[in-house]
Amino acid sequence: MNRFALAFRLPIIVWQGLFFLGPLFFMIAMSFFLVKNYRMEEAFELKNWARMLTRGYVWDSYWYTLGLAASVTVVATLVAFPAAFALAFRVSEATRRWAIFLLIIPFFTSYLVRTFSWYVILAESGVINVGLGTVGLGPYTLLNTPVGTIVGYLTLLLPLVVILQTIALANIDRNLVQAARNLGYPPGRTLFAVIVPLAKTGLIIAALFCFILSFGDFVAPYYLGGSKPPTLPILIIDTTKSGQQWPRAAVVAVMMMLTLFAIAATAIWLAYRKRSAA
Amino acid sequence: MTEPLVILSGVVKRFGDFTAVHHLDLEITAGEFVAIMGPSGCGKTTTLRMIAGLEVPTEGEARISGRLMNAVPVHERDTPMVWQSLALFPFLNARENVEFGLRMRGIGAAERRRRAVQWLERLEIGEFAERNVETLSGGQRQRVALARALVTEPPILLLDEPLSALDAHLIIRMQGVLTRLQRELGITFVYVTHSQSEAFALADRVVIMSRGRIVQVGQPREIYRAPANRFVAEFVGRNNILSGISRGDVIETALGIFPAAGLPAADKPATLVVAADLVRIDRTPTEGAIPCTLISEEFVGATVTLFLEAADGTDLKVQLPERALGDLNLHAGGRFHLSWPADAGHVLAEG
Repeated sequence: MNRFALAFRLPIIVWQGLFFLGPLFFMIAMSFFLVKNYRMEEAFELKNWARMLTRGYVWDSYWYTLGLAASVTVVATLVAFPAAFALAFRVSEATRRWAIFLLIIPFFTSYLVRTFSWYVILAESGVINVGLGTVGLGPYTLLNTPVGTIVGYLTLLLPLVVILQTIALANIDRNLVQAARNLGYPPGRTLFAVIVPLAKTGLIIAALFCFILSFGDFVAPYYLGGSKPPTLPILIIDTTKSGQQWPRAAVVAVMMMLTLFAIAATAIWLAYRKRSAA
Repeated sequence: MTEPLVILSGVVKRFGDFTAVHHLDLEITAGEFVAIMGPSGCGKTTTLRMIAGLEVPTEGEARISGRLMNAVPVHERDTPMVWQSLALFPFLNARENVEFGLRMRGIGAAERRRRAVQWLERLEIGEFAERNVETLSGGQRQRVALARALVTEPPILLLDEPLSALDAHLIIRMQGVLTRLQRELGITFVYVTHSQSEAFALADRVVIMSRGRIVQVGQPREIYRAPANRFVAEFVGRNNILSGISRGDVIETALGIFPAAGLPAADKPATLVVAADLVRIDRTPTEGAIPCTLISEEFVGATVTLFLEAADGTDLKVQLPERALGDLNLHAGGRFHLSWPADAGHVLAEG
């Protein structure tokens, strides 16, 4: 590497080192620290790990969060796909460009604000229940339920997933789709035999984004989902608040990091695997 | 005579304001090797795609084996195509690509595999059956595409400029493969190309299209020696085209008066076409020869094409074997004299 190349790379290396790798190592180290009299002490003890990994409520939160993130990934992928398919194959290039622009607009507004707006809609006296009340239905509890959390997640993620899927599908070589039709595949079979395999990388990356962002999200479960059980991000915050247990919170954070590493690695492997086993 | 396999009658295809194909009538007999040839944008690929059902005619009828096909969707036709881009599925290996079309026909896995491998072997690429198609060479990929289209034993094979991505040497080899296959299988090949050499080398019958219309249909030799109109004369081969006026049994052109057969009535406009390979070139003047200046030459191995200019600026071409150049002492600006036998000219009844 010559000096100029190094000079160009130096800022990003320093930035990543200072603000990503450094804190990451500190967090891992902190998970072995101890807290005495509300003060953190440097140590290397497995106590935090032993305590957190043997507590039922931690695992309840873990599986609940994992399940929520997996559900929202499946729901978002399935709900987004028809929209992305239509944008990729059924509309003109110009319409597609407009649609992608419109799908980016939600990101102009703070996610917190968008989440709060759901509060107005989902609350006991909110838009949905008042509406249903006029025809004699409800009220239904929508707020502080997993449904609320999933609605919140989808608010954040659906536009993103639609955009990523649309790009993946729009890049497919149309000749390959026509070749499948030409070889006797009706539209539905063409979808699974050719379109999905060709868009595989993009579709998996879209789902991965969906999983990572919902797994680590604090806003939707906190404001719309209640805390029974708390998701892992809420658990982290609760743990830091109760008795300054930063080391125990670090244990949860490291658990989350390891989970995401495993899932991201698997997803990337699947996304770029050249050939199916079939 | 049996009914033609494919009948296109009064077929029109419009894309918005653009008419790609104008009232086209074409019949293709079973077992025939037909080439549809023309410059890009002439409607040849659109015509092929209408046979495959990838485009639906705006007007007119498309029939295959007597059945009206206008409303029959692509996947219900048995009209496999070899694509210009080959359109091999990158996520399948060579054998799986060939098996692809068999999957929709309720054929068991073992039988699919057997037939696919058999076709790959027939096309001499059996050893690459399990290879990723992206790692194969252009010629090998071409053969996979052919096997994929033919494995279902269709009555007709559509080919859309399939050799355009190959180098010259491979084109000749693949032409041999195609000719042999078509003869052995006895099925109809419809071959779209912009290349005269491919069309003439392969086809029993050549259809020449221009601006969405058929301008001539005939055997290669017929089209080469007797172009039906000025477009074909210009598009096909190297022809000298001289506009003139009929004077009964001679034609009067800017370069002189030439005897010719088949002229229209006296005083009507006519065009004399003389193939470049029938023109004689001399260093010394001869009776009735046209004096010209050599502009440039195009040397393609065994044959040489000379580009000359007459005194009035008319461009003329001469094509001759390289060994016949002899002592012509070619150099740009050199003076030569062109002539042709009286029966070399072909007359078009148009200006």
